[in-house]
Amino acid sequence: MRILFLLLSAITIVASCQKVIDVDLNDANPKVVIEANYTAEDSTVLLKLSLTTSYFEPSTPSTLNGAIVNIIDGNGIATPLISIGNGEYELTAYVPTFNSTYKMTVLYDGTTYSATSLLPNIVPLNPMTYEFSPGFFGFGEGYFVNEIYDDPAGVPNFYLAILSKNGRERNKVTDFIMGDDRLSDGNPVTRPLFIDTLFSIGDTIDLELQSIDEKIFDYYSEIQAIAGSGQATAAPSNPISVWDNDALGYFSAYGNSRQTVIIL
Amino acid sequence: MKLIIAVTILLLTFSINAQKFTISGTMKDATNGEDMFGAVIKVKELENVGTTTNAYGFYSLTLEKGDYTLIYRSTGFRSQEIAINLTGDIEKNIELSLPADVQQITEMKVNAEKENDNITSSGMNVTKFDPKSIETIPVIFGEKDIMKTLQLTPGVKTAGEGNSGFFVRGGGADQNLILLDEAPVYNASHLLGFFSVFNSDAIKDVSLYKSGIPAEYGGRASSVVDVKMRDGNNKKFGASGGLGLISSRLTLEAPIVKDKGSFIISGRRSYADLFLKLSQKAELKDVKLFFYDLNAKANYRFGKKDRVFLSGYFGRDKFKLGDDFGISWGNATGTLRWNHLINKKFFSNTTLVRSSFDYEFSIGAGDDAFGLRSSIQDWNLKQDFTYYLNNNNTLKFGLNAIHHTFKPGALTGSNETFNEIVLKSRFALELGAYIQNEMKLGTRLNVMYGLRYSGFNYMGLGTDYQFDEKGNEIGSKNYQKWESIKYYQGLEPRISASYIISDKNSVKVSYNRNFQYLHQLSNSTSSSPTDNWVPSSSNVKPQIGDQVAMGYYQNFVKNTYRISGEIYYKSLANQIDYRNGAELILNDQVEGELVYGKGRAYGFELLMEKKKGKLTGWISYTLSRSLRTFDKINNGKEFSARQDRIHDISVVLMYRINKALALSSTWIYYTGDAITFPSGKYEINGTFIPYYTERNGYRMPDYHRMDLGLTWYMKDRKKFEHNLNISIYNLYARENAYTITFEEDPDDPSKTQAVQTTLFKLIPSITYNFKLK
Repeated sequence: MRILFLLLSAITIVASCQKVIDVDLNDANPKVVIEANYTAEDSTVLLKLSLTTSYFEPSTPSTLNGAIVNIIDGNGIATPLISIGNGEYELTAYVPTFNSTYKMTVLYDGTTYSATSLLPNIVPLNPMTYEFSPGFFGFGEGYFVNEIYDDPAGVPNFYLAILSKNGRERNKVTDFIMGDDRLSDGNPVTRPLFIDTLFSIGDTIDLELQSIDEKIFDYYSEIQAIAGSGQATAAPSNPISVWDNDALGYFSAYGNSRQTVIIL
Repeated sequence: MKLIIAVTILLLTFSINAQKFTISGTMKDATNGEDMFGAVIKVKELENVGTTTNAYGFYSLTLEKGDYTLIYRSTGFRSQEIAINLTGDIEKNIELSLPADVQQITEMKVNAEKENDNITSSGMNVTKFDPKSIETIPVIFGEKDIMKTLQLTPGVKTAGEGNSGFFVRGGGADQNLILLDEAPVYNASHLLGFFSVFNSDAIKDVSLYKSGIPAEYGGRASSVVDVKMRDGNNKKFGASGGLGLISSRLTLEAPIVKDKGSFIISGRRSYADLFLKLSQKAELKDVKLFFYDLNAKANYRFGKKDRVFLSGYFGRDKFKLGDDFGISWGNATGTLRWNHLINKKFFSNTTLVRSSFDYEFSIGAGDDAFGLRSSIQDWNLKQDFTYYLNNNNTLKFGLNAIHHTFKPGALTGSNETFNEIVLKSRFALELGAYIQNEMKLGTRLNVMYGLRYSGFNYMGLGTDYQFDEKGNEIGSKNYQKWESIKYYQGLEPRISASYIISDKNSVKVSYNRNFQYLHQLSNSTSSSPTDNWVPSSSNVKPQIGDQVAMGYYQNFVKNTYRISGEIYYKSLANQIDYRNGAELILNDQVEGELVYGKGRAYGFELLMEKKKGKLTGWISYTLSRSLRTFDKINNGKEFSARQDRIHDISVVLMYRINKALALSSTWIYYTGDAITFPSGKYEINGTFIPYYTERNGYRMPDYHRMDLGLTWYMKDRKKFEHNLNISIYNLYARENAYTITFEEDPDDPSKTQAVQTTLFKLIPSITYNFKLK
């Protein structure tokens, strides 16, 4: 769909203009937001608890301490996370079991919120390649890299790729490169990637490919549709939360694979 | 049902006494032989006795033996009075001529309508335009567009800035049946809606029915836009065209055999992409972006009773970014028609229509190239009869069958990353049968009543899926070719009545029910070629629109001024919306992404027109609401539809300064669209995410704009007339909001801001038009 917005902007670029305006917005009642990641790579669970704020408020979100937070593995064994302040809760050295489902619970102010996430098997990246391009669609000449992996056949797979150029990681949710195998199940996948402009000789490119749960793929895809300026839908709405009891946010248990290439 | 038939028979058998004879024939434009549709034939001696021509210029009037004076007239032409002595059946073919010179055109246009047809006609008022009558109205990029002129009338709202899409009386954009020579047009816009597919050089006229829809039309819930192509000059060769900043046009027409047959061929090509070359942005220099369309039509008269028409439309948009990416889309329609006069009172029309729309993406080049294709294709057979029973009753009845083939998508190519995916085609048969009578009861009451039966057979070859509450597949069943998967049917009553209070004022009421079996899936803000049409199925029920409307019409000062007020209430059943993150493209189970609800719309429309003098034009005001209720959206609470614009005003003024110059101006104001804005925010991975509370709970800023146009009719040459049109869109450069987005402040990521995008500020354009005489 984004390509259609490109088309629209191509039509209108000659005439259009943008400006920042004042909009009078209502303030909704604050709601609980839970952001939780279980990163198999470093065996760490990190959870952030906060509240929504009014839209134009310049301060950072108000964080919530004093919650009781647990992670429960596939055998039903609960392990508590430790509050480290600033609304954050952490558990380290928590050994992952792939292809099993984890559950998290958060008890705050008398309400228990829970969510589950599958920790999928890792799909390994093959070594990256890079290619020269004489330039297309206004991008000057340069290099793009190829993300290469073999999609496992017969199972639905969901991916999240994060690129870094010379150590600067593009890890904002709007920069996530989402992928699934709806159209490429079981195939060797080669996907050209670049950031804003094509790469130059001497650039070091790091690629992280996360294998994620379907729910998280949906969640990030919906977040991307409403975050940033590329609002693609006529009637935006909140992404379907992974948490129950009306909390916003997600819980992602994921493994990853990394590759690096230097363009010579 | 039985009651209706009984009453009909009773009414039909009313008058079988005195000896009666029939006057029948055709009415044409004397200059080019074009048929006149909706031209009026009145009997001077009798009150409320007369008829109008049908779409093929045919009329039939049956009167008692005697002497009469018949008045033949049509907008923009000199009317004729003919005395007849009716002692047997008479055939009378009439050609009306244009007034002598240009100066008179404006006056005559008016003159012809000095009579009060708007007051005395039966049925609700039809909004009707021909391209000539609107040629001076200013338009964006100088490309006159009859669909945009329709948007200046009450009850019709634009789909957005510069957009040819529209909403009628609170209905959806896919609820308008848009017909081009009886062929449904599935995507009536070019360049994402900035132009309609209708090339005004090839068009005879456009009629919009927003209530009291006649029973011969079916298939959409809200309105009918009936576009008729010109037949071509059957007197002599003609050429006309125009050069504009963004597109150019050329039309050729000529008789095949003089007064027996003619053809017309009209082409248009845009070159919008040339502007992109001027752009500062490097990425736009490689862009190719254009559309073209071709209208062609031929007709031939075999003897006195038979006439055959063949017409076609072919149009395409193309968008390319270098060699690596392209989209192209377009409509193709073909119509073959056979008019046959069974006898002087009985007119038959048989139509075979082929209609299709498709879009295609191509990505990559060489070995890695792959493409995506999707289409809808129809075969449509129609049989319509008109029976002029007597001068109080005109019967219309007919049958219709449409075979639809939907190809929702196919991904093909040699790129090893992607599997070839071909979504299964889906098939349906849409059936219709109708009967309608236009009846005069005494001298003051006219009633048009009819009934349409519609049926829809969604059938194999195919797979029917079942979904749970959350849209996940829970089962499926395969069906054989032609095996019915789901059959829907419905009766659609259509009634309208007008009561003539005096020759200056009348009241009209109407009720209509319409079934809609095809649905267009669109969840983006602008109209897009990828907005797929899907059939009703076991999951998707047909949309149903019910509307009651009432109007009062008054003419003042010798019919110079007209004022009318209409109120309506419309209810819409089985409306469609989408789940969060719905995947509408290349999805076999797209029906799992849909949610269903209902809607209602109501409003008041006021129209004031000045039809005579140097200054003509109209003021239109609409006060209306359009609301929707979905169990799964907005917690089940009713919310405003996007097009719920409460106030909507259009002012159109045309001033003929002198023989050479015509000045025109439009001013538009409407309440901002209902829209969803955030009522809070939160952080995900260090990015602020808007938090929404209610659907369409906010409003865009109010929209207003003024356009100005000046047409200079340059000195006529012997064989040549030409004019120059200069127009300015958005004269006072109002910054209307096209979108408002909420995003992080790029200078300070801890802050969020609202950013308004304005599309068009003050766009001047110039168009040169010519015509061989």
